Amino acid sequence: MKSLLDSPRNRMYAIIACLLMALVLPILFGLNLYILTVLILMVIFIIYASSWNFLTYTGQGSLGHAAFFGLGGYISAMVASASGISPYITMLVGGGAAALVGLFIGVICVRLKEWFLAMVTFGFAIIIQTLMVSQFAGVTGGWDGIAAPRLISSAVPNYLLVEYYSIVLIAALVVLLFWLILRSRIGLAFAAIRENETEARAAGIDPVRYRLFAFVVSAYFSGVAGALEIHHLGYITPEIFSVDISFWPIIYSISGGLGTLAGPIVGTIVITVLWDGLQTLGITYARFIIIGLLLVLIIIFLPKGLISLPDRIRKYLEGRQKTS
Amino acid sequence: MAGGIDVILQVLIWGLYAGCIYILLAIGLNLIFGVMKVVNFAHGELLMLGAYITFTFYALSGFNPYVLLAASVPTLILAGVIIERLCFRPILGTGKLNEIFISIGLIYIIQNAAALIWTDEWRIIHSPYEKITLSIFGVNMPLDYLIIIITTILILIVLYLFLRKTRLGKAMRATSQNRKGAMLMGINVERMDMLSFGIGAGLAGAAGTLWVVSGQVFNPYMGSIPAIKAFAIVIIGGLGSIPGAIIGGLIYGIAENFAIFTLGGAWKDAVSFIILILVLIIRPTGIFGESAE
Amino acid sequence: MRKEFILLSLLCIGFALFAGCTEQQAATDELKIGVMASMTGPASTTGKDIWQSAVLAADEINADGGVYVADLGKKIPIRLIQGDDESTREGGQKAVSRLITQDNVDFLVGGFSSAVVSAHQSIVAEHKVPYIISGASSSAVSRRTDIDTSYMFFHRPNAEDSAEAIMLFIDREMRPALNEKYGFSADRPLRLAIIYQDTSYGTGQRNAVHDHIKNYGLNIDVVAEESFKMSESDFRTSLTSIKAANPDAVYTVTFLNELVPLVQQGRRDVGLDTIFFAIEPNDDPDYYKGVGTYGEYGVLQSRFSPYAAPKETEAAHAAFVQNFDKRWGGFPGMMGVATYEALYVGVQAVENAGTLDKVAVRDALNDLEIPQMIEVMEDGTIVFSDEFRESKFDLYLAQLRWDQDAGETRPVIIYPDSLKETDFVLPDWYKPGQG
Repeated sequence: MKSLLDSPRNRMYAIIACLLMALVLPILFGLNLYILTVLILMVIFIIYASSWNFLTYTGQGSLGHAAFFGLGGYISAMVASASGISPYITMLVGGGAAALVGLFIGVICVRLKEWFLAMVTFGFAIIIQTLMVSQFAGVTGGWDGIAAPRLISSAVPNYLLVEYYSIVLIAALVVLLFWLILRSRIGLAFAAIRENETEARAAGIDPVRYRLFAFVVSAYFSGVAGALEIHHLGYITPEIFSVDISFWPIIYSISGGLGTLAGPIVGTIVITVLWDGLQTLGITYARFIIIGLLLVLIIIFLPKGLISLPDRIRKYLEGRQKTS
Repeated sequence: MAGGIDVILQVLIWGLYAGCIYILLAIGLNLIFGVMKVVNFAHGELLMLGAYITFTFYALSGFNPYVLLAASVPTLILAGVIIERLCFRPILGTGKLNEIFISIGLIYIIQNAAALIWTDEWRIIHSPYEKITLSIFGVNMPLDYLIIIITTILILIVLYLFLRKTRLGKAMRATSQNRKGAMLMGINVERMDMLSFGIGAGLAGAAGTLWVVSGQVFNPYMGSIPAIKAFAIVIIGGLGSIPGAIIGGLIYGIAENFAIFTLGGAWKDAVSFIILILVLIIRPTGIFGESAE
Repeated sequence: MRKEFILLSLLCIGFALFAGCTEQQAATDELKIGVMASMTGPASTTGKDIWQSAVLAADEINADGGVYVADLGKKIPIRLIQGDDESTREGGQKAVSRLITQDNVDFLVGGFSSAVVSAHQSIVAEHKVPYIISGASSSAVSRRTDIDTSYMFFHRPNAEDSAEAIMLFIDREMRPALNEKYGFSADRPLRLAIIYQDTSYGTGQRNAVHDHIKNYGLNIDVVAEESFKMSESDFRTSLTSIKAANPDAVYTVTFLNELVPLVQQGRRDVGLDTIFFAIEPNDDPDYYKGVGTYGEYGVLQSRFSPYAAPKETEAAHAAFVQNFDKRWGGFPGMMGVATYEALYVGVQAVENAGTLDKVAVRDALNDLEIPQMIEVMEDGTIVFSDEFRESKFDLYLAQLRWDQDAGETRPVIIYPDSLKETDFVLPDWYKPGQG
């Protein structure tokens, strides 16, 4: 039975089914604005969390990805409003800017130990925010921020639905790209570095180069996600560099499952539904406590995240069958 | 500049007083790191809890707030032990990133639990000595600051004596130097973990009380900034090194104030991180850090 | 993958269930008002104030039978719906879109923090829902040109307005008083230092100070400018720089939690024996309690104070404060009172329009002219300006005096002439700047 579930063909069917569901979901709800807003933000955060998670394949982590998310947003917003080019193109420029800064930070960070890396990335988000509101205030509008052109003009009928589909498509392409990278030689090198750096080095793999590569790719797509969010919201302010924005992808990825492609996707969906669901039930502060508890419990009892839950349950049931 | 020497002296005294809180936090972090090789990113939340416990007991009893160190320190030691047993022990050795991530979970839990219990309005209490200012060598020194500095020194002396003179303290230092060796010597390292976390949390609780009596405002989110600064100080000085923490604190304080003078207060946090990054580029283990872990 | 697929489908079902739960029945015999407030997150103190004041207004109107809508030929009750923006941009957008489509609100009030409001303005603009914003004070929000803001009305003074009151006072009242008391020549410029929060709010105020000096040709020199990070608690170094610049007065742009330590450190630690000017969000019972004796003779710019009220709205002020205390316990704040008024303004517009139709309500808001309620308005009326739809307040300044009975300072209004209770005083310990 197990082999049946894991065959590539079935896996393909599952992915297609998921995508189809993503496509029909908003229609099922009668193009409801609230559902669409939640879905759009959710898919943007799927891209963002997946990019963050890409770092963990090389055993790195970051507490300051808001730096890239925000940079992508700012650069794309500035280029789009100055040139009038579609945000779908300028977001690539935004991602490029984030990747460039990512390369710079990466060069400093790749040799650092985990705690230092965490602090340095955290610090960079603050440094970049400070630069944006002081030295670059002339172009960024300082604390007042600047308007960003919408992804799709509201004159287009059902513009939010079109926007949603385009973002789903981008998310699918990003995840596909990550999948291609990870199944290539690069992915093997990542795994070798993560498992044992010394052995990897002995096998002729340069950990620094691969870590740097992961950092840049992660920064690039975080920047794209940030640009998408900003063009969706229509305005950007320096609050985009806040700690929350750095922490959400971590929470999403951990709860879904670190170091897997499906992890951040499942995590983002579960936490979003939980978060907004609890709010409709009128739970406020307790929501943060619930999320915090969930995070702690998952780290302790389910280190591979929620995606390992069905497996765990099946093993548990099998175990019980055997003993009975 | 008007003033010259006495202005510099004056700034130094303010730095000394502000440094007390950072030193208590940084040493707590260092102690925990030394023994467990764990970094508790949620340390600032313990500072915040210390502040609220002092505030609550003060509101209930009306005691002199300094006396309430006797309430905040034991409560926080208990809280530290509980956190260590429930959260950090189960994941010990499963990867450094996990420790950082579990701290994020703890931050959310503690902050919002505090907001539920005490609401998230800013609070302040007034010390009975608020209006007394001493003049020492022509420098103004509010009595409260003097008491805070003396209290911190006393706490550090007690801690020093504990680590150097008692069996328990020696066992802790042994664990910190060589965990496996200590285990072989028959030291219960798990108990040392609990103890170091408890003491670290207790020091944060003391910092919380001092924060409150100095007339600083506080709310449930106040802990994160001091904790990050304390952590940066620990990194600059080198993880696990107590003299490093003091030197790190000095560098940090000077850099921050220099930034305010030249670039403006908005750069305060950014400059301290720039320093941190520069230190790490030149010496990836911090100034006084051991070259290995 | 298959397992994940099952998980995903379960999630989708969960999604469907929770969306289904939130779907509201479209009841036509209610006036549905969405209140955008930060109920959680760092801005939640203000958010609660906004929500509680809105509830108070709705309860009062409902107790009176509700809102008369000519189209329906009857009075209908108000139902308030809370939109918690979680103090974040994403949370605000979700909350606003839920209010607009799930709850089908007839209009919106509230909206605090310029960053949060700017991120959900475009959705409001596209769905053309009237929105009376009583929080976000940045002109960058009210004067946006990239979206259609014709449905947004702003019932709050912007940064320029509050700076204007203080700057005119300093030039017209304080400067002559200073020159006379210390025998300075009449053309000596007043030396002003600015210390501001490094946020949209703070930089907006700082710019406004410079603009007013230039536009009014005020005889004021800005001798020092210092900024600080939001929620800063150690101002000693900045204050030392300021002291070295020898100012005659210090203009502070802070929130309550910053002003208390700032004034204490300035007066006690740094020995800055000068007049501290502060802006409206600080006029709160916690400020008087927190700052203690060091607040004495400081000047607060205000439009709603817990302990002072201009003569002309004294009765309304007292009633509001009393009712709020009875309903919720404690004092209402400035954002609360503005939201309370905004709710009445919106209700009046609905009654004038005689329909719940949003275009008609928008037009009614444009033409609206109602007498001031609790906060004193220019010409005694609440009316929205033609160009940016901002109402215009009569802001006042109060000086803090020691009150032996309260054991705290209390404000007395000293400016403008139309509202003042007493004269501005330069205390004995005051030291003017040199240079």
